[in-house]
Amino acid sequence: MRAASSPVMAALALAFLARPACAGSAPQETTMKETPQAAAAGSPRTCLLPSQSSPLVTFRIQFGAGSIDDPPGKEGLNALTALTIGEGGTKELTYREVTDRLYPMAASIGAQPDREVTTFVGEVHRDHLKEFYRLLRDVLLAPRFDPADFNRSRDLLLAQIQTTLRSNDDERLGKEALNLVMYAGQPYGHPDVGTVQGLKSITLEEARAYYRQRYRRGNVLVGAAGGYPPGLIETLQKDLAALPEGTPEPAKLPAPPPIEGMEILLVDKPAPATAISIGSPIKITRADKDFYALMVAGSYLGEHRTFNGRLMNIMRADRGLNYGDYAYIENFVQEGGSTFPLPNIPRRQQHFSIWIRPVPPANAPFALRQAVRELQRVVEHGLTKEEFESSRRFLLNYSRLWAQNLSRRLGYLMDSRFYGTALFLDRVQEELPRLTVEEVNAAVTKHLNARNLKVAIVTAQAAALRDLLLSGAPTPITYQSPTTREDLLKEDKEIEAYPLPINKETIRVVPARDLFER
Amino acid sequence: MSDPLKIGAALMVLILGTRAAAWGQAAKSGTRVFPYKVHQSSLENGLKIVVVPFDSPGLVAYWTVVRTGSRNEIEPGKSGFAHFFEHMMFRGTERYSKDRFNAILKELGAESNAFTTDDYTAYHILAPSSALETIVTIESDRFMNLKYSVEDFKQEAGAVLGEYNKNATNPFYALNEAIRDAAFTRHSYKHSTIGFLRDVKDMPNQYDYSLTFFDRFYRPENCVLLAVGDVDPEKLTALARRYYAPWKKGTYRFEVDKEPPQTEEKRVAVPWPNPTQPYLYIGYHSPAFSTTAIDAPALDVAAQLLFSEAAPLYQKLVVEEQEVDLLFGGASDHRDPYLFEVAARVKKPERVAYVEGAIVAALEELRDKPVDAARLGKVKSHMKYSYAMGLDTASAAAASLAAYLNLTGDPEAVNQVYALYDRVTPEDVRNAARKYLVATARTVVTLRHPEDGEAKAGAGGR
Repeated sequence: MRAASSPVMAALALAFLARPACAGSAPQETTMKETPQAAAAGSPRTCLLPSQSSPLVTFRIQFGAGSIDDPPGKEGLNALTALTIGEGGTKELTYREVTDRLYPMAASIGAQPDREVTTFVGEVHRDHLKEFYRLLRDVLLAPRFDPADFNRSRDLLLAQIQTTLRSNDDERLGKEALNLVMYAGQPYGHPDVGTVQGLKSITLEEARAYYRQRYRRGNVLVGAAGGYPPGLIETLQKDLAALPEGTPEPAKLPAPPPIEGMEILLVDKPAPATAISIGSPIKITRADKDFYALMVAGSYLGEHRTFNGRLMNIMRADRGLNYGDYAYIENFVQEGGSTFPLPNIPRRQQHFSIWIRPVPPANAPFALRQAVRELQRVVEHGLTKEEFESSRRFLLNYSRLWAQNLSRRLGYLMDSRFYGTALFLDRVQEELPRLTVEEVNAAVTKHLNARNLKVAIVTAQAAALRDLLLSGAPTPITYQSPTTREDLLKEDKEIEAYPLPINKETIRVVPARDLFER
Repeated sequence: MSDPLKIGAALMVLILGTRAAAWGQAAKSGTRVFPYKVHQSSLENGLKIVVVPFDSPGLVAYWTVVRTGSRNEIEPGKSGFAHFFEHMMFRGTERYSKDRFNAILKELGAESNAFTTDDYTAYHILAPSSALETIVTIESDRFMNLKYSVEDFKQEAGAVLGEYNKNATNPFYALNEAIRDAAFTRHSYKHSTIGFLRDVKDMPNQYDYSLTFFDRFYRPENCVLLAVGDVDPEKLTALARRYYAPWKKGTYRFEVDKEPPQTEEKRVAVPWPNPTQPYLYIGYHSPAFSTTAIDAPALDVAAQLLFSEAAPLYQKLVVEEQEVDLLFGGASDHRDPYLFEVAARVKKPERVAYVEGAIVAALEELRDKPVDAARLGKVKSHMKYSYAMGLDTASAAAASLAAYLNLTGDPEAVNQVYALYDRVTPEDVRNAARKYLVATARTVVTLRHPEDGEAKAGAGGR
């Protein structure tokens, strides 16, 4: 439920990295299975979903290069390289000339740099496929590395940290701060867009060298979907053979630092409300059987942007604390204005998280206590059979909505390659019907806990909130309108005094302006 | 239906069928940009039913468009009420409580939500089409029989305040609030859809008014039922006749105050509490949506000529001079005259005046010099392909039609307006620019951090 003012809403989509709009269509086949393609030795790997009935063609060209490959002191090198390429010129054409050619087709080329992979997404109507393909090929294989493109891209990435993250989007700041503390000292630890000092120190020559090192034939996964002619993939593979040989090793990922008790980072900035993100790394991904068991529990606790979740109902619907409260069992980014997960942001290491959307500052400690108490309840008692059944039934259908067009299906298919497993959405259909409530609850006990958690809180007067949390004093809720419901009032008394296992040694306050600096 | 929860068999089968051939043709000249067959009917109580069979096997997008938005909030102290009321629509009825309503949708694995704009409120469900009757049952029930307690009403006000708070750290919301408040003196577009903060805070005290609001606007003649997807028009129409027939017509009539012409430029400075790049937001009063008059389509074309990535102004400010990192603009479709808006995020505080000058100069050039015919052709191609490529799911097609159904009540409006785009000439663009993109109709809002120097309201430069 949201209030939309169209021009502003359109603007918001532009306020962060330019994510290309996904468009696509349903293929002719009756399954989502990919079309096998015989690969010549040394040819780039492919992921194909052809559909002659579709007038659209989508490309997702993915390189095994991510912000985890940023050298120390050069945080942002991966993103800056990707942006300079994806939003830049070719050896033959300036960026302006590329844009002029894409415009009448309403076609797009966009870069989506992330932690482990970087994906270039191209969308075009098949009326223009030939001309578009040449542009996409040259953007990727003959990038211009124009100093002007490089500077513009760097400014945009710096603005995302200095203007957007630090000042103008507290929800995103909370999530990024959680990532920072969960993966401190580990390659996931800095934002995928980099750090301020890292970005400032990168030279054009370094971006060019990074491109030569990481954009390699053995490191690319070619995704294509839609109404492209049969010969196109052969051409694409032949063209991509121009990439240098080799398969760069993925960066090593040490285990995230252990968490002792509730470790809290308070991010201080002027803000009308308080944004809270809670999380802890988990040891499973879509490749693991337990992931599907945990998926049911996560959905029960708080499926993204739905009204089913337990947290949503007890925090928003019953108490009017905020706009929404959700839980996730893997890194989650919403795709554009949809409610569905963005594909092509896979990670070898995943985390569990709870997202509490901004609450009035006076209610922040209550909201934190309530969410953690609820997590504790699930860890301790598990789901009832009925809760398990309804959440499983929901997911079996709801997950089918995540890939309504070919572009998204293709993205999911490529992600499954990353995890080395069957198509994620197929696996949901296979695993969930076999699950028992006991298995789900065993997975919860094994992978989740309400004691050792990282917490990021974005708030004004952070020091006062820190002191209040450290005092352990009860923090009652202030209702915008007092409730008369006895059951709520009784439970509120328990929540307001719920003991948070705060690690007093590690709690700290940081001004927002100091985050993501280096 | 005896028990809509007993629909375990309603599993959606997302097998993939053959796309209507028309889709691929959509972008070609002379064809209808919305290529699907639209089935229309209406009930005696005035409820309009629009059904579009679409290739989304097993799936239907079921929308209810209420042609009421924040534009209808004409009484003092009631800003934001249409949006607040949208939240209340999820609070249940005697037959289907909030929890039961949610449980039914959960059982279906449906995606369900709603949104409110200046002009309309839309409720949408994406669900297995095999559960069509269940959806019609629960939707018709809440539109006719919504019932919530004072307590529920008050708690929902907290969620709306939470929504306000989540938006409040985003400068675009502040800019949007400020430009409306300054540019409009009488029309209800003066306030944003979420409403003035003072009114949002007072919402818990407005229970009685909420009943009045429901009684006035949630009436069949003010609504359109829209289904896009794997659905048989006859079947849906029959279901609608059965379930929505008892819905009684309303009697409320109202008139939104007309906005008098603006006679001089207005300037507003918004101080921002956090360090930020400065933002510049400019609005010109512009015409209402029309399927017959050329001015609004001509301004849409002008927006492309000025602010698309291929536009000379965009290339100058963003790509070559790199003074600005975000630049966009245009007039969004509204039932009444609204604003042609331009937004820019400037890299250096001291360059705001320069950027404003460059934008104004580009608008003036449009008034003085007819645009090159070849460029106009590229704009038209872009607009058609862009629209056609967006119709890739049942939900996307429904969202598009919902907007046009709000504007005119007629789904054909989309094809009519794209036919108008085709007819826009260089002279039309020049005439529209001369008529609307003028200094006296302009409101300029700047947003910046006070430490970057006072946002000088009179500091517009060339």
